[in-house]
Amino acid sequence: MDLYREEVMDHYEHPRNMGEIASPDLEGRDSNASCGDMVQFQLSVEDDIIVEVRWKGIGCAITTAAASKLSVYLQGRTLKELREISEEQLIKEAIGFDVNPGRIKCLTLPVRVIRKLSEN
Amino acid sequence: MFDPKIVKKDFPILSRVINGKPLVYLDSGATSQKPKAVLDAERDYYEQHNANVHRGAHTLGDEATKLLSNSRKKVAAFIGGRDEETVFVRNTTEAINLVAYGWGLDALKPGDTILTTEMEHHANLVPWQQVAGRTGAKVELIHITPRGLVDLVDYENKLKNKPKLVALVQVSNALGTINPIKEMAKAAHKVGAVVLVDGAQAVPHMKVNLADLGCDFYAFSGHKMIGPMGIGVLWGKKEMLEKMSPFLTGGGMINEVFPDHSTWADVPEKFEAGTPNVAGAVGLAAAVEYLETLGMDEVRKHDEDIVAYALKKLKEVKHLKLLGTEDPKVRSGSVSFEYSGVHAHDVATILDSEGVAVRSGHHCTMVLHKALGIAASVRASFNLYTTYEDIDSLVVALAKVNKVFGK
Repeated sequence: MDLYREEVMDHYEHPRNMGEIASPDLEGRDSNASCGDMVQFQLSVEDDIIVEVRWKGIGCAITTAAASKLSVYLQGRTLKELREISEEQLIKEAIGFDVNPGRIKCLTLPVRVIRKLSEN
Repeated sequence: MFDPKIVKKDFPILSRVINGKPLVYLDSGATSQKPKAVLDAERDYYEQHNANVHRGAHTLGDEATKLLSNSRKKVAAFIGGRDEETVFVRNTTEAINLVAYGWGLDALKPGDTILTTEMEHHANLVPWQQVAGRTGAKVELIHITPRGLVDLVDYENKLKNKPKLVALVQVSNALGTINPIKEMAKAAHKVGAVVLVDGAQAVPHMKVNLADLGCDFYAFSGHKMIGPMGIGVLWGKKEMLEKMSPFLTGGGMINEVFPDHSTWADVPEKFEAGTPNVAGAVGLAAAVEYLETLGMDEVRKHDEDIVAYALKKLKEVKHLKLLGTEDPKVRSGSVSFEYSGVHAHDVATILDSEGVAVRSGHHCTMVLHKALGIAASVRASFNLYTTYEDIDSLVVALAKVNKVFGK
């Protein structure tokens, strides 16, 4: 089916930027109560520019692929940009795939973490 | 026994096509589908009899009042209860909250124990946590065995603390376990506890006789027993209901209102504040009639058959780990499982693409899932329209999970 297309499965099976930063400038985590999924993001930031992204977590294919794609998108962006972009736009640009309403929380979990990080 | 394939034809929604495939509805534990007889009964109520109840003076008002009271009679008789002990509420959750606030707030004192199980739906746990917080009582949980049964040794031990209330689920919505309520209620009464039973997953599948069960309160929902959403029942022993404070107050539940105080109507009206869901009650009575036509013993036979078939078939599927006991005699309504290496939500989404509707997540039993050491599971749940072919379709659709995830 469309949702589990090759690109999504590739990010699920080979998630990018997984791991931890020894002393991150920013870090945050969040979880979905309904399924126990958890995502943590760590960022190194220089002059408001994100120079390194690492994330880890447990989750379904959708959460994992979304976090992986988001981590790729974040490289080189500024925190200011992230504060200014709407959640909808961020999902569209960074993650680029859509899910049915029942799975939307899987998609937004990593996005929520990043939005909180950029606001603090 | 009735043929579920013929029964299925009475449920209009079951002929829908989902994602290009005929719908295979295996989420009846969340809510059941409704036969045409129930839909017609609700429609007929609104088209022919709709008026507010207990207002006398005109014909429609009389008809609506009579319909409400006849529905109550039918539902009460179905569970072996009396009319005046049968309170219409919205659902099981509201029924349990009614007891928690109407009885618990007055009866529970600091240090008292509320004893319940690890396999409760949140509806029979969270209200007790709330009331415990307000009264200083504490909630204790009976453990479950690795096979998914209530640990009766642990139960006996915890009864020694003389709990004020024992709150038990009759059929677990996540494991399908049928608990030995009669014996457990007897043991609870010996230590003086009040016994409340969550019957939401039992009433749809088996004959429930309250006189035989021996509990003090029994709660269930219409929508899980092929009736409408928004109507449910709290049954309570009359002497208990009479002693209790009302839960919601206002119109319909009063006897006399003075500037500074009021007196209450007799039970069950004392607990039915505001305009009741008459159409829902009429629909529920139609559901009861439908079930009685099939016969509850036959309904349970079909339930046990389908559970046994699903257990057998799903056991043969690679990568599945089934939850709960393998004995269909003490199981009802559902089979839950984990798919090794694939998240429950992913499994459910892929099954949906094949037209198979299942539930994924913790099924409102987070404490149970923690006790089992798992985050989420997939549940296939059944009702009287579930066929062997539905189970076969589930097994075929599960192969798609294998294909997508390369397992």
